[in-house]
Amino acid sequence: MPTEKNDLHRGTLDMLILKIVASGPLHGYAIAQRLQQISKDYFQVPQGSLYPALHRLEERKWLDAEWKDTSTGREAKFYTLTSKGKKQLEAEVLGWERLSDAVSLILRTAD
Amino acid sequence: MRWLRRLGHKPLVEKRLDSELHFHLEQQIADYIASGLSPDEARRRANLEFGSVEGFKEECREARWENHLELLLHDVQFALRGLRKNPRFALAAILALALGIGASTAMFSVIYNALVAPFPYKDQGRLITLRVLDLDQRGDGEGNIRGLLSYPELHDYMEQNRVFDGLIANCEIDVVYDSGENNSYLAANYVTPGTFELFGIAPLLGRGLEPADYKPGAPPVFVLRYATWINQFGSDPSVVGKTFLLNGVRRTLVGVMPLRFAWGGVNLWMPRDATTASVMRGTFPQYWGVVAHLKPGVTLQEAEADINIIGARIAPSYREDYPTHFHVGVESFVHAVVGDGFRRTLFVLFAAVGLLLLIGCANVASLLLARATTRGREFAVRAALGASRARLVRQLLLESLLLALGGAVVGVLFAWAGIRGLSSAMPPFTIPSETVIEMNGWVLLFGISLAIATVVIFGLFPALQASRVDVQDALRGAGKGLGGTAAKSRLRNAVIVLEVALSIILLFTAGLFMRSFVAIQNVSLGWQPDHLLIGRIPLPSQHYKTGPQLVSFFDPLIHNLKSTPGIEGASPVSTTPPYGGFGGNIEIPGKTHAGEWESLIQLVGEDYFSIVRQPLLSGRAFTEEEVSTARKVVVINQTFQRRFLGDGDPLGRTIVLDVLKKVPDAVTDRSFQVIGVAADAMNAGLERPTEPEVWIPYSVTGSGMRRLIVRTTADPGSMNATVRKAVWAVDPTVAFAEGEPLAELLNTFSYAQPRLGLFLVTTFATIGLLLVTLGVYSVIAYSTGRRTHEIGIRMALGAAPADVLKMVLKNGLAVVVPGIAIGILVSFAVSRSVVSQLWGVSPYDPLSAVSVVVLLLAIGLLACWVPARRATRISPVTALHYE
Repeated sequence: MPTEKNDLHRGTLDMLILKIVASGPLHGYAIAQRLQQISKDYFQVPQGSLYPALHRLEERKWLDAEWKDTSTGREAKFYTLTSKGKKQLEAEVLGWERLSDAVSLILRTAD
Repeated sequence: MRWLRRLGHKPLVEKRLDSELHFHLEQQIADYIASGLSPDEARRRANLEFGSVEGFKEECREARWENHLELLLHDVQFALRGLRKNPRFALAAILALALGIGASTAMFSVIYNALVAPFPYKDQGRLITLRVLDLDQRGDGEGNIRGLLSYPELHDYMEQNRVFDGLIANCEIDVVYDSGENNSYLAANYVTPGTFELFGIAPLLGRGLEPADYKPGAPPVFVLRYATWINQFGSDPSVVGKTFLLNGVRRTLVGVMPLRFAWGGVNLWMPRDATTASVMRGTFPQYWGVVAHLKPGVTLQEAEADINIIGARIAPSYREDYPTHFHVGVESFVHAVVGDGFRRTLFVLFAAVGLLLLIGCANVASLLLARATTRGREFAVRAALGASRARLVRQLLLESLLLALGGAVVGVLFAWAGIRGLSSAMPPFTIPSETVIEMNGWVLLFGISLAIATVVIFGLFPALQASRVDVQDALRGAGKGLGGTAAKSRLRNAVIVLEVALSIILLFTAGLFMRSFVAIQNVSLGWQPDHLLIGRIPLPSQHYKTGPQLVSFFDPLIHNLKSTPGIEGASPVSTTPPYGGFGGNIEIPGKTHAGEWESLIQLVGEDYFSIVRQPLLSGRAFTEEEVSTARKVVVINQTFQRRFLGDGDPLGRTIVLDVLKKVPDAVTDRSFQVIGVAADAMNAGLERPTEPEVWIPYSVTGSGMRRLIVRTTADPGSMNATVRKAVWAVDPTVAFAEGEPLAELLNTFSYAQPRLGLFLVTTFATIGLLLVTLGVYSVIAYSTGRRTHEIGIRMALGAAPADVLKMVLKNGLAVVVPGIAIGILVSFAVSRSVVSQLWGVSPYDPLSAVSVVVLLLAIGLLACWVPARRATRISPVTALHYE
């Protein structure tokens, strides 16, 4: 397990994956690319660590997976958000916003 | 995991995982090449950025497992929390299951060890024993079955059969052991060649009996039983090889058998050759018990056919021993050893415990049903929040599984305690001494399967029912004012009706057992057993062959005892009351009759009637002179007079005791003059009517087994040593064996078995009653709780507390009364199957039935009363707000 400063917390990675997949069916590589683009290479994690997380979310029925052909004609595993996953995402985003609000409030008022 | 893959069969999941990760790498490489990197550099960077493919594959696999485990742990925690939230429910359910499982496991252990595998003997299922049955006498009495064979007869069966590959026999013999300092009595068996080989038990010390030991002229030897070695020889291993003076013969102890070898239930075994049959002919017949081993492939029926051919062939040579119409029964040895009576008792007890188990399960089922319905809303909420139906079912099942696990663990503890209690409570001589009652693998398996079956049946059903909750309905709180849906409450009520009915059957059976036991204890014996001490007097046959020889022993003994402080008097007697002597043919001069006339014959001294306190109705008892000179006088009982003499004064009549010509010192003049009539007393056991019986002076013959009965003024048990010393004082080669107070013997042999049955059935019935009380209470409390809203409305509209009370009680009676009715009807239908266990009480005993009904009504009302009272105390305002 990488232990650098910019390590991703498991719950945070799950939330980010759910958020990315919410935009439509994506395969693992596309999710990895999107994650990198959005975070502007902020998170330093091996790309492979995405897959255990995907499998975990699939097992929890937050993600659904299907093998389909890509635009290039190759078969790949596409992930979609389930309704359960959607609820989970909403709950996590809400929790995250509350946490970050609370943290920034503390940071501001502690001056 | 690599070894698995090398097996060549890669599962689909693995293939998919593989291609998913490789798709990523290939896409990345393609993208890098497209952006201008060399293929090698592109591959290098892609691999570097991805990390270890194998490592992540492993993590993916773990992610799936972890998830399952987490969910399971979560569910277990959830189930435990659910149970903890309602500890009374959990405790009641676990206790109900544990009682059922524990009690039935304990009973099953007893039945398995006592009936299925009582012996440690080799191939015990193919060992058989022989008995000659008199086909002219029907009924289940012992009188028409002969289980022992004379020696020549035994020899015939041994030589002529074609169905056994081993046939051995044993014969009881009393042994007086002279240690040099004092004498003691030991029970022994003569055994025939092949005995130790047939049973296949290796000796603990030394050796068993070998073929050479049986040869004529072989040095006398014997083998000792484990318990005797421990108790009388201080488990000293050096006794093997020493010689002992037994019945005046020096015999070498060659071996000690292990604990579970107790053939014949005796202290020691001595060899006796079966080939010297001629030696035995012409003497008073010794009777031998037979055990044979079936040849491979021979069935019981085939063996029986073969043996009956031999029986028919040899019967004419043994007129005395074979009835006109007979059948030689071949019976499994295991089956023959445990008496039919006790076997039936055990089965009745097992049935009772099965009912208890059913009640326990019904109880848990009703508790689970009630609980599942109460939690309908909880489940609806959880379903609305996304819990799948499978998940809910799984949680409920898990909860039941935890209950069953708890029930099984506590149940095994109960079973362990129960087995210990039962094996010490077993009446002596009902099961063979080789039997050890212990919890074995089978029994444990039985207990565990019961637990699992209980979970599957009674956990799954409420779980499925609860999961079928309609989310919308439940959330709206529909059915709040009703007792759940009609179907659910019908099911709950049906379970309670069943529980009440089962409990009625148990209670009714217990009632019958109780009445029967009281009846047996109240049997008027016709004599007084208190302060009587009785023991066997094994007289060495070489010194005591004739009547006068017996008188020379008994006369001084009785005189000495009479003058001993603490002793009132003593008399010889042939058998231990309530059994009246040996049976035999009689004739009345001038009377002809069809069939044989038989009477019991008791050989006694002049004080017998005063010692046992049996009153004489007319005439007199013997005088001392009549006894010492063996005068041919007889005292008869009322039944004898009624059956054989008819009206008219019996005194002075003559009767002929034909049976006396069969004894070794055959009595030539067998005509006896009646001098007295004794009141009828129990003389064929406690459960059978009085038989014709006569008493004659013990000195008439020197043959037959003798006992001494002593009336004491002190505690009879404390006089045992005194009597033993008095016997040795007259003749040191004679012993006072197995001396015991008669009241204790009665307790052991006549009351212990019914008492054990009564105790267990009553215990089971009481537990059943407690469970039913709990069941009725929980269901009424539950449905009353559900109707709080309705009750509030009623009270707000002016219903008095008494009306509410009446309503709830009526509700309760609606389930209790049908249960009682069904229970009583079924009880009457099945009580005939316990009729063999009953004595002096009808299987339809109205007193038992009425008491049971009243008891259950009272219990049912009590169980309803508490929730009913609670309902009347509700203030209408609270009730209307109550959810």
